[in-house]
Amino acid sequence: MKSKILALLLGGTLLSGSAMAGGYQVNLASQRQIGMGHTGTGIVTGNASIFFNPGAMSQVRENGVTIGATGLISKIAYRAPEPSGTEAMSDNPLGTPFNFYGTYKADDLLTVGLGVYTPFGSSVNWGSDWNGRFGLNELTLQAIFIQPTVSYQLTEKLGFGVGFVYAIGGVNLQRSIPLQGQEEGRVELDGGASGIGINAGIFFKPSEKISVGLSYRSKVDMKVEEGDTEFNAPASVAGRFPAGTTFDAELPLPSTVSIGVGIMPTEKLTIAIDVSRVGWSAYEKLRFDYSANVNGASFTENARNYDDAYIFRIGGEYKLTEALNLRAGAYYDNTPVEDGYLTPETPDANALGLSAGIGYTLSEKLSIDASFLYINKEERTDLSNKSGGIAGTYKSVAYAPGIGLNYKF
Amino acid sequence: MLALFAGVLLTSCDPEIDAPASSAGSADFTKYIAVGNSLTAGFSDNGLSLEGQVNSYPAILAQQFKAIGGGDFAQPLFTEAQRNGSGYIRLAGFTATGSPITAPVTENLALRAPNSSLLTKYTEPVNNYGIPGIRVADINTPGYGSAAGNPYFERITPDAQAMQTYLQRVQQSTDHTFFSLWLGNNDILGFATAGGFAGAITETGTFNANYSAMVDALTAKGAKGIVATIPDVTGVPFFTTVGPQVKAALTAAKSAGFVAFTGSATNVDNTKNRTLVPTATIKDATGGTVLFTLTGSAYAGLIGRPTGKYWKDLAKQQSPSPAAVNLVLAGLLSRYAIDTTKALGAPENPWPSALIVDATELKAIEDATKTFNDFIKAQATAKSLAIFDANAYFTSIQGGFSSYGVAYSPAFITGNLFSLDGVHPTPRGYAFIANEMIKSINAKYSAKLQTVDETQYRTVVFP
Repeated sequence: MKSKILALLLGGTLLSGSAMAGGYQVNLASQRQIGMGHTGTGIVTGNASIFFNPGAMSQVRENGVTIGATGLISKIAYRAPEPSGTEAMSDNPLGTPFNFYGTYKADDLLTVGLGVYTPFGSSVNWGSDWNGRFGLNELTLQAIFIQPTVSYQLTEKLGFGVGFVYAIGGVNLQRSIPLQGQEEGRVELDGGASGIGINAGIFFKPSEKISVGLSYRSKVDMKVEEGDTEFNAPASVAGRFPAGTTFDAELPLPSTVSIGVGIMPTEKLTIAIDVSRVGWSAYEKLRFDYSANVNGASFTENARNYDDAYIFRIGGEYKLTEALNLRAGAYYDNTPVEDGYLTPETPDANALGLSAGIGYTLSEKLSIDASFLYINKEERTDLSNKSGGIAGTYKSVAYAPGIGLNYKF
Repeated sequence: MLALFAGVLLTSCDPEIDAPASSAGSADFTKYIAVGNSLTAGFSDNGLSLEGQVNSYPAILAQQFKAIGGGDFAQPLFTEAQRNGSGYIRLAGFTATGSPITAPVTENLALRAPNSSLLTKYTEPVNNYGIPGIRVADINTPGYGSAAGNPYFERITPDAQAMQTYLQRVQQSTDHTFFSLWLGNNDILGFATAGGFAGAITETGTFNANYSAMVDALTAKGAKGIVATIPDVTGVPFFTTVGPQVKAALTAAKSAGFVAFTGSATNVDNTKNRTLVPTATIKDATGGTVLFTLTGSAYAGLIGRPTGKYWKDLAKQQSPSPAAVNLVLAGLLSRYAIDTTKALGAPENPWPSALIVDATELKAIEDATKTFNDFIKAQATAKSLAIFDANAYFTSIQGGFSSYGVAYSPAFITGNLFSLDGVHPTPRGYAFIANEMIKSINAKYSAKLQTVDETQYRTVVFP
């Protein structure tokens, strides 16, 4: 069950990005909104309202398509607990979260749309030499959400929308096994996953100067069934790692409830503020169940016990000329990872995001958005003694340049 | 343009974590020498090889000292062509029941001549004076470095100085600024591994006089250093692997116990030195006072069955020629009054004394360990030296611990810390020892030495 669907869909390269939001969430759903600190619940964001607030989708005036992609460049530095001099740096592959949104006005009140986006994912590569290699060599998590959506304008000021989410993805986890042969033992787990959920929102715009929105994106349980294992162990103990063993696992992609407000003091200026609560407490453990005993055990389980976490966002857009929009934003993303539970696959910490962007209208039909986001996570030291993680100090930064196109018809 | 921008950022804005400060504190690591036994030499898997030398704890310490002013550290390394040194044992596989099978490594040895017990000479100056097998009792013995002495000391002793003692050799070093001293293990261990059947525990008076002479020699010019205590030898896999298995088997068979020989080879009263060992007294995780040696693993499964395997194996070892084996065997059986038609563990065919540490022997071992360690610590305190309390450390890890996702314990093979001989650490185990020493040095001398990544040092190699 390798994730062949993904490979076909995306040519094998355009996969989701490193987890640079809290946990393994990837908040890079629209280039315009990235420029504005990834706000968007309380304003009309164009076609991207399919993601940010389906209730606002009915406010979109024209049919249109938005496509965009972000290059997520991330690195994580590591130092072992003092007095060790040991350090490491992850060599994460370039993440490429992307988005596609299409909307169509079925009639004056009803808008239908389709979104395809990548709100979760992670790719972190520590290699097979660092001191934490028995915890993790490399992890790739992918999730692509496909979301058909309807939005209805209840009144001129009030919109409601709901989308059905079908998620596909996969997980690939590689780690070293502490058994020394000619080379060190290794294990690779690889499986495709899928899950379902909803995305619903209400949008209310009482005046030209203010708007508010509420959105709810449900938890999606990604289930891996009969994923592949590949073990590399010295011959004399290979019998403890039976070939052809499959694994089952389940990974929750947590719910997000957001409220947002949009303030338009002048025709040229939009200010947006969002607060999100991410239901990370759903992530209690990471468990792999095997079809045969692996090194004497039928499963492995490590506690995660994440906490629900809040994200605070603010962003603005200023219309400099008819064609040119300038944007800036910031957010503060609280980590869901409690002390003692830090892991090398998600060495999470409270994060500050700073963004800037421009939008340029090329023609009546075509406009382009460019964005740049800098993410700086706080340096965090943890014993990692409750999660089976790797103790030490972690520090992550990421840079995410992105570009998007909007076409109206 | 964005890509270019990103490319510049990628290379110039990597996340950084401040490196911990490093300093020598009040110590001076300009010239470091290591005095000790097999542990200091890098002995592992029942032999000394180039790999063991390169990964010895003094070599690890010297490497870390270099970061704060330490100089070169010369070891009497075997050449690449003779990398297997004395020879050692490797893991060849497992029996159907999961018992390890070891095999000797016999190629690329550093023997001076075929079948010689002497090793290829190494007479360059050394910083690592670790001599496998040496006891505190041996350091004043003239000729210990001769062909009739210890082959490892003979190896580094110039022929012209064959009568030089180990203490005199160490006294030649007058310009060292830092030293490590870890002696005393063999003053107990030889007696213990022979099940109290051979060897003797060093007299306390001899131990104290020799040990303090060595400390005086090392500190004569004001050098600072670290001394290590003697671990509880009964906490190593050599003594903890077989006993619990025997206890479990006897308990399952509802056997009250078995008869064993006790005492030493020279004091065997064939009728009186046989004692019933109650099953409950065999030491396992729940306690006990009787230990089985790892050398007994080949015979432990034979308890309760008629066998003369141990005596046949012993006769083969002692016999000058294959033709004489039966004669030697008959002599042994007669001398010790063994009836091999009776079950092993029966009064007529007792469990051999060399394969068991009984309660009396265990008490002698534990008393001596405490006496010697008290003296070692008192000497260190008197000279203001750092102490690596190896006894306390190895006692503290008896229950196992975890580091960077790897489980460690004193268990044989699976515990990752001890090599195939059940006494000496794996390179990984030596790295832990070096790190513990670094912590002791840091604490004593207000130094800021960095510890090493122990995962870069191997554990037991599986075929």
